[in-house]
Amino acid sequence: MNLGEYFEEVSEDEAARKRRLAREKSYEITEYLADVERQFDDAVQGDSLFGSTSPSIFVGRSSYPNVSAGLLAPVSDAEHAAEYETGPHWYRSGYTISDVFQARTNLLNSNQRTNVHVADEWDGFTGVQREVAIADRPVDVEVGLDGPLDVDLDITMEDVSSPTGPRATAESAELTENPHVPRAVEKTLSDDDWRAEGAMTYLYNRGFDVYDINTILSAGALGQTRQRKLVPTRWSITAVDDTVGEFLRGSIRNAPSVDETKVWYNEYLGNRFWVVVAPGDWEFELVELKAPGSIWNWKQGDYLVAADYENYEGRTGYVEETAGAYYAARLGALEHLADEGRQAKVLVVRHVTEDYWGPAGVWQVRETVRNAFSEGDPGVAETFHDAVNQLTPRLPVSMNRLRRNSEMVAGLQSSLADWGVGG
Amino acid sequence: MFKAIVSSGTLRAALDSVGVLVDECKIRLDEDELTIRAVDPANVGMVDLSLSPAAFESYETDGGVIGVDLSRLEEMVKMASADQLVHLELDEETRKLHIQIDGLEYTLALIDPDSIRQEPDLPDLDLAANIVLEGSHIDRAVKAADMVSEHIVLGVNEDEDHFYVDAQGDTDDVHFELDREDLIDLTAGDAHSLFSLDYLKEMNKAIPKDAEVTVELGEDFPVKMHFDIAEGQGNVTYMLAPRIQSD
Repeated sequence: MNLGEYFEEVSEDEAARKRRLAREKSYEITEYLADVERQFDDAVQGDSLFGSTSPSIFVGRSSYPNVSAGLLAPVSDAEHAAEYETGPHWYRSGYTISDVFQARTNLLNSNQRTNVHVADEWDGFTGVQREVAIADRPVDVEVGLDGPLDVDLDITMEDVSSPTGPRATAESAELTENPHVPRAVEKTLSDDDWRAEGAMTYLYNRGFDVYDINTILSAGALGQTRQRKLVPTRWSITAVDDTVGEFLRGSIRNAPSVDETKVWYNEYLGNRFWVVVAPGDWEFELVELKAPGSIWNWKQGDYLVAADYENYEGRTGYVEETAGAYYAARLGALEHLADEGRQAKVLVVRHVTEDYWGPAGVWQVRETVRNAFSEGDPGVAETFHDAVNQLTPRLPVSMNRLRRNSEMVAGLQSSLADWGVGG
Repeated sequence: MFKAIVSSGTLRAALDSVGVLVDECKIRLDEDELTIRAVDPANVGMVDLSLSPAAFESYETDGGVIGVDLSRLEEMVKMASADQLVHLELDEETRKLHIQIDGLEYTLALIDPDSIRQEPDLPDLDLAANIVLEGSHIDRAVKAADMVSEHIVLGVNEDEDHFYVDAQGDTDDVHFELDREDLIDLTAGDAHSLFSLDYLKEMNKAIPKDAEVTVELGEDFPVKMHFDIAEGQGNVTYMLAPRIQSD
């Protein structure tokens, strides 16, 4: 299939798109919050004892290092606790933005102010929280609550972690069953002299997805014991994407290049992703085109364009414009290349349409890019620049604007080997 | 056997010109010259350096290759002021380099040269344009471009008979033109190539502001830059692979 036909197939019927927009931009969330408050009253026994099943934890970042560290557990529907945890299953089940918000709304964050320096603290509330984090399935817990329920959704404009739901202050917590901890996690836990980066990569190679590793890292259960500390969820997500990505980049460093230019497409939650994979040594760029009316671009009349880039040697500093989305998109691309045992030049163009009305979290970037490679066939182009030329009419910004913002569209780095430099 | 005395200024200029691209390198110690040739890990920039024995106060060798950790060596040499002399002596037995600066003595462990990336061959490229200009002009162009962009076009307009620099950023542009009067020499031929500023910035650090720099350019071709160091007793060539632009 040539690229032209390919593009015909993925272009969407405008009317269908508008209908979906109307349906998805429902504001049922506030009503839903009222339900949650009622269910919460039912769920709390006696004065303040809340029994549920906790699939995960959340570590806030304000007032660092004295952060709010919490157990997440569904207020109702505890038997399906695992579904409330952020992960690839949300993508597979086709969660809408509303679904994401509803899932979060039902997830109570029972938290305590905790100093991040937890080292080998495995007792009390912190201990319970860490046990839940390292378990590979939801754990039954009982939480003693202190104070009222705060039902406001915590929506951050950063779009790294998923939104969090209602909160309550916890006085105590107890496990009401023995958590199941996978052997590989026990191994990283018992080794008190294993740097966190190495332990993360070990778990990844043992089949743990970045979501699991993120929770374990967040609970301060990786790294050399005296340095173990709670890691705010938002930082932890990006740290894991980055660390695993660096490992994968190293694994393809000397790999042969892909031999043709392909363009993959995927769309989810009002975000359209074009992934151009072209022959040559590793280079990567994420270009984000944010529609007026989408979450980060309320005021502007025009598209916002943000981009970050790395060359063959990777980045030395944190990205400046695209935050956690960069590392999540890069991970998806690197997983594909590592799978194929190839390296390539990869340009990811993310078109955030106005349908993206609420920040769902960076998992949607990761899953959409990951699945771009497995769903549908790619278009094929002669060269990287041919691919970009054919892609541009489908994008909401001009070629000129794209070239000004994108390192790779401006020019692909050639290698001295292309010019007869042996060595 | 290798034993030499050299001014720290000369040695630093030589090491810095390589250090901007690589962390470790092979140094060839031949009777008629000392040479370093290295390519950066991404295979985008390379350097070819030679110092004649006349660049040294004294220079004795019977040939050989050593591998050095450049950043360590640069650090040690920085302890000397520019006019101080640095004494270098290779201990063949222990494979260590003894460095002596006015009473300070260092011993630098060498690296097995076989573990260092192979030295590149410098290809002959038929580049249409040849520009000779002052290092300070390159510095000015690179600094101006860096304010707006991550990449830079170097070009020659044959009809207008000038050398130019263009940088395009998200919103802002820089254009810089030097005609025959501003240049030391110009062999005009149409040339236009895009380069990563990351690399040019590093190379620029090592180009003396008062040096005469010869720049060879083509259309979507690598750039070569040559300049002298050590008062003409040494020279450096950089070659940088272009970013290939769309048509």
